[in-house]
Amino acid sequence: MNVQPDLEFIRELKTAGGDTLKKCFQCATCSVACPLSTESKPFPRKEMIWASWGLKDQLVTDPDVFLCHQCGDCTEKCPRGAKPGETLGAIRAYAYQQFAWPKGLAKLTTSQKNLPILIGLPAVVILVMWILSALVPGTSGLHIPSVEAFAEHGYQQFFGDWSVMFKWYGKNIFFIALIMGVSALIAIISCWMGVTRMWKAMIANAEIVANYRPSLCQFVGRFLWPSLLETLQHKRFKECKTNSDRVSGHLPLVLAFIGLFLATCWSLIKNDILGLIWPSLHGPLAFFDPIKLIANVSAIAMLYGVWILWKNRRKMEAEGRASNTFYDWFLIWEIAAVGVTGLLAELLRWGGQPLLGYFVYYLHLVTVMMLFLYMPYTKFAHIVYRTVAMCFEKYRTSSFVR
Amino acid sequence: MDKKYCAYICSGCGIGDALDVDGLVSMVGKEMAMDCKKHNFLCGDAGHKMIAADVETGVNTVVIGGCSQRVMTNEFNFGPQTITVRANLREQVIWSEMKPAEGKEPHKEAKAFLNETAADYMRMACTRAQKTELPEPYKPETMNKTIMVMGGGIAGLTAAKEAAASGYQVVLVEKENELGGKAAGWRKSFPSQYPWTGLEENPLAVMLADVQGKASIDIKTSTEVARIAGAPGAFRVSFKSAGSASEWDAPVKVGVDEQELINKGEKADPNAGLQPYTAVDPDAVTVGAVVLATGWKPASVDQYEHLGHGRIAKVVTNAEFEKIAKNGKVPAKVAFIQSPGGKENDEDFPYCNSVTSMVALKQAQYVCDDNVDGQAYILYQHMRTPGHMELFYKAVQQNDGVFMTKAAVTKVEENGDKVKVFAEDTLLGKELELDVDMVVLAAGMEPVTLHEHSINLAYRQGPAFLDLDLFDGYADSHFICFPYETRRTGIYTCGGVRKAETLEETIDDATGAALKAIQCLESTERGVAVHPRSGDATYPDFFFQRCTQCKRCTEECPFGALDDDERGTPLPNPTRCRRCGTCMGACPERIIGFKDYNIDLIGSMIKAIEVPEDDEDRLRIVVFVCENDAYPALDMSGMRRNGLSHMVRFIPVRCLGSVNMAWIRDALSAGMDGAMLLGCSYGDDYQCHFVKGSEIANKRMQNIGDTLSSLGLESERCASRQVSITDFDKIPAIINEFVDEIVGMGPNPFKGF
Repeated sequence: MNVQPDLEFIRELKTAGGDTLKKCFQCATCSVACPLSTESKPFPRKEMIWASWGLKDQLVTDPDVFLCHQCGDCTEKCPRGAKPGETLGAIRAYAYQQFAWPKGLAKLTTSQKNLPILIGLPAVVILVMWILSALVPGTSGLHIPSVEAFAEHGYQQFFGDWSVMFKWYGKNIFFIALIMGVSALIAIISCWMGVTRMWKAMIANAEIVANYRPSLCQFVGRFLWPSLLETLQHKRFKECKTNSDRVSGHLPLVLAFIGLFLATCWSLIKNDILGLIWPSLHGPLAFFDPIKLIANVSAIAMLYGVWILWKNRRKMEAEGRASNTFYDWFLIWEIAAVGVTGLLAELLRWGGQPLLGYFVYYLHLVTVMMLFLYMPYTKFAHIVYRTVAMCFEKYRTSSFVR
Repeated sequence: MDKKYCAYICSGCGIGDALDVDGLVSMVGKEMAMDCKKHNFLCGDAGHKMIAADVETGVNTVVIGGCSQRVMTNEFNFGPQTITVRANLREQVIWSEMKPAEGKEPHKEAKAFLNETAADYMRMACTRAQKTELPEPYKPETMNKTIMVMGGGIAGLTAAKEAAASGYQVVLVEKENELGGKAAGWRKSFPSQYPWTGLEENPLAVMLADVQGKASIDIKTSTEVARIAGAPGAFRVSFKSAGSASEWDAPVKVGVDEQELINKGEKADPNAGLQPYTAVDPDAVTVGAVVLATGWKPASVDQYEHLGHGRIAKVVTNAEFEKIAKNGKVPAKVAFIQSPGGKENDEDFPYCNSVTSMVALKQAQYVCDDNVDGQAYILYQHMRTPGHMELFYKAVQQNDGVFMTKAAVTKVEENGDKVKVFAEDTLLGKELELDVDMVVLAAGMEPVTLHEHSINLAYRQGPAFLDLDLFDGYADSHFICFPYETRRTGIYTCGGVRKAETLEETIDDATGAALKAIQCLESTERGVAVHPRSGDATYPDFFFQRCTQCKRCTEECPFGALDDDERGTPLPNPTRCRRCGTCMGACPERIIGFKDYNIDLIGSMIKAIEVPEDDEDRLRIVVFVCENDAYPALDMSGMRRNGLSHMVRFIPVRCLGSVNMAWIRDALSAGMDGAMLLGCSYGDDYQCHFVKGSEIANKRMQNIGDTLSSLGLESERCASRQVSITDFDKIPAIINEFVDEIVGMGPNPFKGF
């Protein structure tokens, strides 16, 4: 291998949480501690020297980097204070940028300095949409509902209503779908671009020659589904010793996202598909509706999970075991903001506070849009990159590959 | 001195329970005609007072039967005018009693065996007391206390400064026309203080200011030492201007056979035009002791052809790179190769010690300091950064542009105006190819003594230090046990000539060597040995009327203490002597001895041992034990209650080199059944305090074995064994197996003649 160290890469890692990476003196204590390490792949010992040698291409195409849970066992045991776990976090952050599309948006999400833009962009979009809803036929969204109307419709007429004109499609859902759907679509395209770039780079780097291509079904059945199952069970995550607390934070969070996804889907079907046939199905779900129960439990689980992770990270930073990085905190803040605004909006609805309720709901929409829009570039991206890396790890050793 | 004797036997520490002390007391009275007293706690106040009271009333020679001579030395010290002799009844008699095998009854005569052993030790001690005399120190007639420091580098400057600060006159000799040595060429130096992270300014200027202009330091630049004659306290130094030849250059040693050939004209005289080593230079400057700080030379690395030094212009040594750095900017991409062995072996360059690791770190720092995005690759098999230098390592490692990996460098190739380095077995898990502007090889630091005499002594044994190959060319007498010492008393090394070391270590080293030189001067003035027998006031006395000029003493002295006088008789230089007694062991005429240690004294002790006739259970084997390591090991074996055969009698000796074969003959002709020498290991990893003693003794024992065979005695009756001080658990096997061998051979057939 002809070595061409990228000093810029080293400097970027150093600012993104890997400030200690140059301390590594290759004793391999981390590899002994790490459950991911095997005899032929001394992980993350090898990644540490690649990082200190600035071997960018080696690192971003290394599936192991994405498989790491950042459990902190290596950082805890490191006799040199090189914090391999933190360095790997920084490498992942860098890799997401590396594979990202569009690059400009991705770049924006890397720095706390850009926070006003990051928040401002969705805030303006939603505000503009809200104002725009007045220009679109039907009831204007640009109003604060009466207590009675608020009790009946909740936030379902935030962007107004045109049930008289387009019975088959709600005005509110039109706007929500326009905002969130476009955001999600950008995210999905971006993720697709990212993971395909990563997959190709990994194939090239591992010098894999495929025997034959797996079909979609084979891919899902052999690689994707087992990976998802493993994620859901947190099987490898539980092997972490130093920060076993993080499982008790991360697992509720994962389940909460699934619960909220299901509840949102049901709400969509009920209001906007079935509601067209049976208008009585419109309106907020009753408190004792099983789906509503799932939604509320999930919301609480989400806040609980994020609180555990928050606490955990604070503690680790206080003890010098983790670095204070925007990359890590942005996701925690964001999830916390989504949860807090969502739950608060619900409480205000019950409390019959339309003005405050609408404001909080607005914030909730802003945070949700941020979640969607920035997902492919921030720490949240791990849900796709990590899953794909897990698939790659399975693919690499499968019969599809010679 | 009229001797008045009294013997004392202590019954404490279990001696009274194990031995018939009253029987011993009466034996001493009857056989040795000495007063003998018994006490149950001789080293206690009451015991000490009892002896002190006797000393008050005129007793001046005291025999103590009790613990080992190695313990309670203060308790049994009754002043410089009283001779004290110890009999080791505790460690080597009662504590070393052979225990019966498990389940077996003790030998029915076990008690008798033990008492016989104790009685023999009392006999030997009393005999020694009768034969020994108080020493009279040898005080040189003229005593010069100037210290000459050879070499004006960091080591020499420090030694000169420290010696002057302690109040001694110093002559500082430097070959070059400027002081400073190698350090003058360093751009920066390693960190020497907290936080041990950044490079420091070269401290040479400050050090020069400390030395220059001092009245007590006479600086001679552009000067070399042609020869050093004489001895500590009165060395005669002939100077010459650097690079010139002088009739006073030290002559090389010419052997007897060689001299014959030269006389016949069949061989060129290597010393033609030179004054003989015995000649006295009227212009010589007298000094008392010498600090040798003549430094090191960068080792050649041209033999490692795959690394390309000498073939590729961009491949330089660390010393050459330092010169580049001193004169300007270093290139931006540099590979530092620490180990030349490729995939075959992981050894570093010879003579690198830990210094070249730190030099690589320092020079890598230059690369980063001089260039934006400078890149320094350190390809090592070992990085050695001892002590605080670990912090320096950590600090350099923090540079974004410093890349380190363990690697086997297989090839260096020219590639346009760049150089390509190939390495395998790296920590990156891949073979590497590096395109760099320059390659730096971590050449070692060879001591000047590897290539030249350096010290230029006008001694009979020649101008150089001996057996330099034992230490790869370093002049130490023993690196660990006796730092700074060489095999020439009064000459102490420091700096690069002693060890490949850093500036900081050199400063420590030079201070130590200066102190060692001061110790030498003060000891010499008082007439006592410098080391390792520090404070010993005895010295070898030669009865020259009977000397046959065989020169064995002269040849075998490990320290070159003996020259020849004008008639060819050995000429002792007592201030060069370390009092090991190797000359005494060598002398076939038995004319060399010390006041308290001589042929007659030990011979009489041997004869004092009772040798029963016709008793297979009572064979007698004498073991001469080196006092330095073997004797303590024997004591420790006793402390652990390891059983030793009751047939063995131990006699401590200064060094195995001092064992005269006459003693072996005495022992065997007295009817004893075997003899053994127990001393330090010799050869590559020798531990002999006197460097050559055990090796010489071993040779002598082989020779005497041949003599025994010709007399019809088994040569195996004489043996020599090596132990180190930590080998105390091996002592019983060594001793008892030898005894078993002797028992197997049966009694000495000459017993009773």
